Amino acid sequence: MSFDWTAITAALPELLEGLELTILIAIAGLIGGTIVGVLTAIGLNYGNWLVAAPAQAYVAFIRGTPIVVQVMFVYFALPIMLGIRLSSTSAAIITLIVNSGAYTAEIVRGALDSVPVGLREAGLAMGLSFRKVLAYVIAPIAFRRALPAMGNQVVAVVKDTSIFLVIGVGELTRRGQEIMSENFRAVEIWTAVALIYLVVISLLAFSLRVIERRSRLP
Amino acid sequence: MSMIEFRQTTKRFGAHTVLHPLDLGIESGEVAVIIGPSGSGKSTMLRCINVLETISDGDLRVDDISVLGASRDVRRIRLEAGMVFQQFNLFPNLTAIQNVMFGPIRARGRSKAEAREIAAALLQKVGLAERMNHYPSQLSGGQQQRVAIARALAVEPKVMLFDEPTSALDPELRQEVLKVMQTLATEGMTMVVVTHEMSFAKKVGSRLLFLDAGHVVHDGNPVDLLSAPPSERFRDFLQHID
Ligand SMILES: Nc1ncnc2c1ncn2[C@@H]1O[C@H](COP(=O)(O)OP(=O)(O)OP(=O)(O)O)[C@@H](O)[C@H]1O
Ligand SMILES: [Mg+2]
Repeated sequence: MSFDWTAITAALPELLEGLELTILIAIAGLIGGTIVGVLTAIGLNYGNWLVAAPAQAYVAFIRGTPIVVQVMFVYFALPIMLGIRLSSTSAAIITLIVNSGAYTAEIVRGALDSVPVGLREAGLAMGLSFRKVLAYVIAPIAFRRALPAMGNQVVAVVKDTSIFLVIGVGELTRRGQEIMSENFRAVEIWTAVALIYLVVISLLAFSLRVIERRSRLP
Repeated sequence: MSMIEFRQTTKRFGAHTVLHPLDLGIESGEVAVIIGPSGSGKSTMLRCINVLETISDGDLRVDDISVLGASRDVRRIRLEAGMVFQQFNLFPNLTAIQNVMFGPIRARGRSKAEAREIAAALLQKVGLAERMNHYPSQLSGGQQQRVAIARALAVEPKVMLFDEPTSALDPELRQEVLKVMQTLATEGMTMVVVTHEMSFAKKVGSRLLFLDAGHVVHDGNPVDLLSAPPSERFRDFLQHID
């Protein structure tokens, strides 16, 4: 069987539709995950134990379980426990927010820790509240320190969206699988799917490097 | 009422007493120089004044505000007591002038334009007008420390605390920093200076405190104390720092 380009061009519109959903889920997961992660990191680093202990448990729980199990739990178990209905896309986004939030928390925590204590003291010694020190002294420096690891996290989140095919989310990988089960063009379809991921992730990695370079200190 | 008043001030780290009950008043306009061996509690004493350390016992008042007060009082004290650190601690992501503008904007609530005016004047004063758009990493240690002094002054403190401001500097860069400090002293700024620069103590200090193992062992006129060391311990110490 020879490589059939028409199989790819025929599948492309549908694959790109899948890509759209992949990107949508990834963006929602990243934005939500970053907010959750930053708040969790602040709780871990500066909260009293009433805040820090649950935050610690959350991070340990997410890092200690596979994301497939997490999405199964959110999609099948959570609705039963809470008596609600959840679309597969919502379940995917929730899972990604919760999952990425935990990894982001670890990244942000490390970045916050890496800011020299002397800078915090310089801010406090000027009469700033701790909140202001956090916002205006620690955050700008921690942000730069977190960038490389956050870049990896962004890429990981985009790739992790393919896992949601297990609950039937019509993202890129799922679309590839569906098309292939109709035309049996495994080589063409999976090549196309892989290349689409590669292009998107390369573009992302490139923009992240630009941001990193732009925010580097002299 | 003294500008800074230690009242049976005690500081412990765990079981280790770093500052023994201390009674001491530092008056407005004084330049108190603190010297003493490593670990004697000099930094701790300074850090208690602007509440970077919490005292364990007694009281400590700055401009009649107690360090034991609510966080609002603590912030008021810090606004009144500027701090200069051994390691400068400039914000690496901000230029010299942005570092100096930081306090007026974030701590004093000034507008950017006002802050810029204050900062430019202070950088001029410490001799760094031409360097105001440089980042800390682009400045020498002496220049960084002068920016740090300007940054502290920009908050308009009544007292300036210096913790070994020249110790991290190469000897040839120390004078430029000491000169700025001397100017401040002649302008009447109340200063507490931890340093091993004896010439500075003699020339600029109005008072010399010798700290040893958490006790203020000597307290007097710098010239008198240095020309006639009253104790063996003090004599030993002076020999070791030369
Ligand atoms: N955060 C802390 N926790 C425990 N012990 C501390 C802490 N900070 C200081 N100490 C101890 O308190 C004592 C006094 O320290 P301090 O830094 O005030 O000394 P110093 O006179 O400034 O010394 P140096 O000349 O080396 O700067 C030392 O024994 C030090 O180990
Ligand atoms: Mg010290």
